[in-house]
Amino acid sequence: MADATQAEHKWTMVVDLDKCTGCQACVVACHAENNVPIRNKSEVQANRAQHWIRIERYWVGDPPARARFLPMLCQHCNRAPCEPVCPVYASVHSQREHLNLQVYNRCVGTRYCNNNCPYVVRYFNFYDPYFPAPLTEQLNPDVTVRTAGIMEKCTFCIQRINRAEQQARSEGRDLGPDEVIPACVQTCPPSALLFGDLWNPESRVAKALADNPRALRVLEHLGTEPAIYYLKGGKSYVRF
Amino acid sequence: MSDSDIRAPQQRPSLGEMGLDQQAQLERERHLLVDARPGRELNAMVLEPMMRIGRAFWPAVGVLGFLVLTWWVTWGFQMWWNVGITGLNRVVMWSLYIANYVYLIGIAEAGTFIAAALRLLDIDWRRPISRIAELLTVFCIFASALFPLAHLGRTWKFYWLLPYPNERQLWPNFHSALIWDLTATLSYLATSTLFFYIDLIPDAALARDHVHGWRRTLNSWLALGWRGTERQWRLLKVAQLIFSIGILLIMPSVHTVVSYDFAMTIQPGWHSTVFGPYFVAGAIYSGVAAIIIAAILFQRLNHWSYFIRDEHLNGLGIFLLLTSLVWDYFFFQDFIVPWYGQVPTEKQVLLTMMAGHGQLAFWLMITANAIIPFFTLWWRRVRTSWPAMLAISILIQLGLLLERYIIVTIDLGVRELPFNWGLYQPRAAELIMSTGAVAFIVLGFVVFSKLIPFVVLYEVKEGQFLVQLKRIGKGLIRSKME
Amino acid sequence: MGRRIGRRDLLKIGAASAVAAALSGCEFPRPWVHLEPYVRPPEEQVAGVGTWYASTCRQCPAGCGIIVRVLNGRAVKIEGNPQHPLNEGKLCPRGQAGLQDLYNPDRLQGPVRQAERGSRRYQAITWEQAIDDLRAGLSRAGSSLVVWADHTISGHLLDLFERLTAALGAPPPVVFDLYTALSGYAALSAADALLFGQARLPAYGMEEADVVLSFGAGFLSTWLSTTHYGVAFGSFRQRPLDRRGYLVQFEPRSGLEAAKADFWVRLRPGSEAPVAQAIARLIADGGVGPADRVSRARAWAPAVDPEAISSASGVPIDDLRRLAGTFATAARPLAIPGGALTGHGDAVAQAAAVQVLNVIAGGAGVGIAPGPPAEGLVAPVAAPYGRVQRLVERMRAGQVGALLVWGAANPAYALPPALGFVDALKQVPLVVSFRPIVDETALWADLVLPDRTYLEAWGYGVVEPSFGVPVVNSQQPVVQPLYNTRATGDVLLEVAKGIPAAAAALPWPDELSFLRERIAALPPGVFGGVGEEVEWARFLQHGFWQPRPGPGALQAPEARPQPVVVPAPSFQGAAGDYPFFLYIHMPVLLSDGRGADKPWLVGSPDPMTTLMWQTCAEIETNTAIRLGVTYGDVVRIMSPYGQVEAPVYVLNSVRPDTIAMATGLGHSALGRFASQEAEGPNPMALVGPAADASGTSMAWANIRVRVERTGRRVALAKFEDTRGSYGGFVNQAFADQYL
Repeated sequence: MADATQAEHKWTMVVDLDKCTGCQACVVACHAENNVPIRNKSEVQANRAQHWIRIERYWVGDPPARARFLPMLCQHCNRAPCEPVCPVYASVHSQREHLNLQVYNRCVGTRYCNNNCPYVVRYFNFYDPYFPAPLTEQLNPDVTVRTAGIMEKCTFCIQRINRAEQQARSEGRDLGPDEVIPACVQTCPPSALLFGDLWNPESRVAKALADNPRALRVLEHLGTEPAIYYLKGGKSYVRF
Repeated sequence: MSDSDIRAPQQRPSLGEMGLDQQAQLERERHLLVDARPGRELNAMVLEPMMRIGRAFWPAVGVLGFLVLTWWVTWGFQMWWNVGITGLNRVVMWSLYIANYVYLIGIAEAGTFIAAALRLLDIDWRRPISRIAELLTVFCIFASALFPLAHLGRTWKFYWLLPYPNERQLWPNFHSALIWDLTATLSYLATSTLFFYIDLIPDAALARDHVHGWRRTLNSWLALGWRGTERQWRLLKVAQLIFSIGILLIMPSVHTVVSYDFAMTIQPGWHSTVFGPYFVAGAIYSGVAAIIIAAILFQRLNHWSYFIRDEHLNGLGIFLLLTSLVWDYFFFQDFIVPWYGQVPTEKQVLLTMMAGHGQLAFWLMITANAIIPFFTLWWRRVRTSWPAMLAISILIQLGLLLERYIIVTIDLGVRELPFNWGLYQPRAAELIMSTGAVAFIVLGFVVFSKLIPFVVLYEVKEGQFLVQLKRIGKGLIRSKME
Repeated sequence: MGRRIGRRDLLKIGAASAVAAALSGCEFPRPWVHLEPYVRPPEEQVAGVGTWYASTCRQCPAGCGIIVRVLNGRAVKIEGNPQHPLNEGKLCPRGQAGLQDLYNPDRLQGPVRQAERGSRRYQAITWEQAIDDLRAGLSRAGSSLVVWADHTISGHLLDLFERLTAALGAPPPVVFDLYTALSGYAALSAADALLFGQARLPAYGMEEADVVLSFGAGFLSTWLSTTHYGVAFGSFRQRPLDRRGYLVQFEPRSGLEAAKADFWVRLRPGSEAPVAQAIARLIADGGVGPADRVSRARAWAPAVDPEAISSASGVPIDDLRRLAGTFATAARPLAIPGGALTGHGDAVAQAAAVQVLNVIAGGAGVGIAPGPPAEGLVAPVAAPYGRVQRLVERMRAGQVGALLVWGAANPAYALPPALGFVDALKQVPLVVSFRPIVDETALWADLVLPDRTYLEAWGYGVVEPSFGVPVVNSQQPVVQPLYNTRATGDVLLEVAKGIPAAAAALPWPDELSFLRERIAALPPGVFGGVGEEVEWARFLQHGFWQPRPGPGALQAPEARPQPVVVPAPSFQGAAGDYPFFLYIHMPVLLSDGRGADKPWLVGSPDPMTTLMWQTCAEIETNTAIRLGVTYGDVVRIMSPYGQVEAPVYVLNSVRPDTIAMATGLGHSALGRFASQEAEGPNPMALVGPAADASGTSMAWANIRVRVERTGRRVALAKFEDTRGSYGGFVNQAFADQYL
């Protein structure tokens, strides 16, 4: 049996825009899982709020406009524009997991990557994180706590991916089709977020995307080849 | 400016009316290179301001030194508290530091151009101002190179951008425009320093031979034992030729590479193929204006109206007009193509610039860079009027700094997804660092003007030797020996 | 914030008890934290591998099951319990933020006494002293004792309080908090009592519904069970496009539900119930739909004039007719009564008017929570507001000898100041707070005896409403208690020992033995196990008990035909003096204000305004222009009862005649994040003391206000940066492409 830590997986996320309620559960879960600091009010007023996943809220239509939610997080583009521009190889592509990796200890903070990211999903630590004790007790030891001067972004909870692969390897089996769940996906109440290996036909994402006319990718025309598929908001067919 | 020039052309005596003496007098007034004076006199004119510490010197050094100190102290603060003390935010992550980097290294371009290109083209009005130009280049590159360092989130790790052997066996990423920047900036800094130094050697020897005290020691050290033998002169000429050609190859590539920081991204407003020549044009434009400012200031302060005359200002002014037109052309290209293309995000960039929160900067820039030069520099009266040239050049400096600022921060504030449009406002940290850098350059000039001769005397003397007044018929004309 | 962000703390953490002492290192602060493992770890723990403990979330009354990842004695992550039938492994943002209750830096570390109320000077005392003081105060108070708890109280603790009060001859505990008040718990239960004969909360089977008419229900943000309805909404929308659920939201303002609705009816505040009645009438008159439905409609529909209601509510009559037809012809339609319609008029009648639609539909998708499945178990029941009013009167009259406040009830913050609660406290000799952190009520307390946070505490919870099957949650400490706190149950038992009247009623040595005794009364559950020890272990391991056999469908209750009379909407404040309606709503993160002490909640963006650390007054675009205000201008909102100041947020989605305000901020206590960093209005200051006609609810949804400029501005802390050219609007092309 192939070593589960060596197999290639095409980690993919599916975001169902019809189901996303904008409740921010994914936002809070991501903070808890990945030690993402909450910035204080003056930092937020300076437009430096830091949330690896955010719910972009757009107003659409003539007044009264309707709100529409677009969860936006690192798209883990297959042709990530943030990768060629980093001068120190802190933003690199993982050949095995097909993810965009941010190497915290290598980042010198040129901030070029966020300029080239059309989704603006990379966050810079303008200051050290503020975790007044005993909030430090809550920090997840599986994830580095980043200091000032370092860029960070969603990792698809790579620590969970690694843990699941190691678990599978120690048990001598392959990964199950839906065994890896990032924090945001796990908590999303309407299951608007799905995650899995697109190359595994048994996974939920493969099934959700198969022949789905609603599937699209954001800013696809830029050629970034994102790994996140969005299912466009649906229309009701109830007749009245 | 002499009286005869003030009068209208039809009022000036024609050559036929003037006697030969009068003509010679006129020529000598107008043109430095036929107004030969004894070497002693020229030396004194150049070395005396170098030796004399006037009343204004120490206060100037004090003020400028203080501004430079605030620059370093602020940078120190930033290393401690980190980049949060600036006005950057999650959308606009590049701002005044990068704008200053581009702006200052742009100014440096023209110094090189004046010194090297005009030498190769054998244009004479560069002769007295060459050193000012080269020194501007050196100081501007040095100051500008510090900005990317200040811009880094973890400045103390800057050496990771250099390809040195390390145990992680990592090269820097040569795909990244920032590494190209690094290469270009460092090579430009090295070559222009050497270029400046080589040009300095004969004048340092001159100073060594004629001054006393610590300046003598300094200049004799700088002169490297220059004796002025024919062999040495020949070697110097060859070296100058090699460096001139070399640095003329490096110069446009440097600013093109700097423009690639923007053009090689997919950010709307930045992703434009015209950025290469556009930036080079803007660079030379701002540099010429800076040289004009320096030349005028030294002319006034050191009473060098002998060395820097109307013809030099006029030459610089024509050059300024030319570069202004070139800049206008490239700016128009960069503007009109997205305007016609109507790609939504690019259109939003233009709207933000012209009618949104960037409008003040944008219209100031257009006024300073395109409108004012166009409506003034055509006239010789303006070009030879030092207050006018000073004012126009300062406005152009402001305009080009605004142009860089707009490109970096306003464009970056308009991203593909409308939720992420953002505004940038500089804070004290960036403003202090910007003024500190400019103060550094000015301070460099002020201090160095007391250390080394600031007019390229050997070139002036060479020019005066080469250019003679020749009588042809009833007139005198200037003719130059090969 | 006293200290700049740039500081890096040096932390040393002791072993198992995990008391964190922070040393601020000034010279050369080190950028890492020492985390030392146990010297001798508990048996089930492997260093570096998390152990998951099941418990219950107590961030709102819903009672979702959670599992908590504990690493080296530290709780690092909360997830939904995948086996729990209510939330099925999912969790709302408030549940995720529970760790910041446990590790909040402003938690009290031991019992304290405040010599002068309101001084904020708390002296640390020992538990012995605390218990003595409390015992003395209770002995003195005797039958004039009042216990006030919030709806997230554990069943066993409420049981102990009930026994204590009964033993002392005092009235039973008052369970009242702003969350349940604004969600309309008391009125919804009373409406069920009126229609179905059972005074319990309603449950709605949204997963199976095809048409849902939601009358202002914040079911995706707060209301009865955010997570469950979130999960249900996912199923509701999951089905293929031709059977995808159709949602209609009736609300004067766009919240999450209106954003997700297929049809949003932006009706006038106060007209939710009349519109429901109009729809019932139109079904009856129109005769559309299955025959049994039509006949039920004719039996139940009130004698109202749909045209009149249409013009009064601002909903076009054609829309009403169409909605009536849609509802009547749907296979499994559902009508959901929200909290706002219980805030005025006759709350019970209004809630009942919406339930009538469900009765007409046939009641398939509606259930009544069955209540505690065993004799010995207690579930909190939201007290009607009338009881709170009478309590405050008694307090003012000096008839209350001691007031014990437990949990997030925080009446000094939650109740309208016009009711005079804080003033009335002056006449209460002993005020005790059990909250782990000092809140506005604790500011006026004599003793604060911090209970343990729910992640450090034992308990059980009867899930209400439960959806088709009774569920009893278990609650266990997932970490060693951080500080010198004591479980309030233990404190009560200790105190009771010294009060003769109570000692007999509370004979247990500690709360855990009491708890186990109560749980033992449960019949064998779905997780099996023979013997009390095993059943108890299973109860803790899975996080809940559920009867064998497994879940059933919602029980459609029998309805007792009767007229439901909804009074015409009336408002507090003359229209001339107060031209705007005030629409108060609970945001998903802050809810009723209890979320404001947690940075993950108060510092995360509100979904509609994207504000963090702030709440605002939402004003419609043209109204704002008329008032001469824009984003960030501070305005004064004034009602007949009070005034607040709030920054303006301009929206074109709120009604032009309405000012919408969120609860949650306006704190003067509750820790640094809520009181110092966050800024925003407390809209309850605008509400009057009155109850609705039925006496079950505050009359909070029919307040009229006026708006004045103050001339000041504040920078809005938004995620979207609207200082530039953006106003949040995208063109149709962008919307068509993605949204």
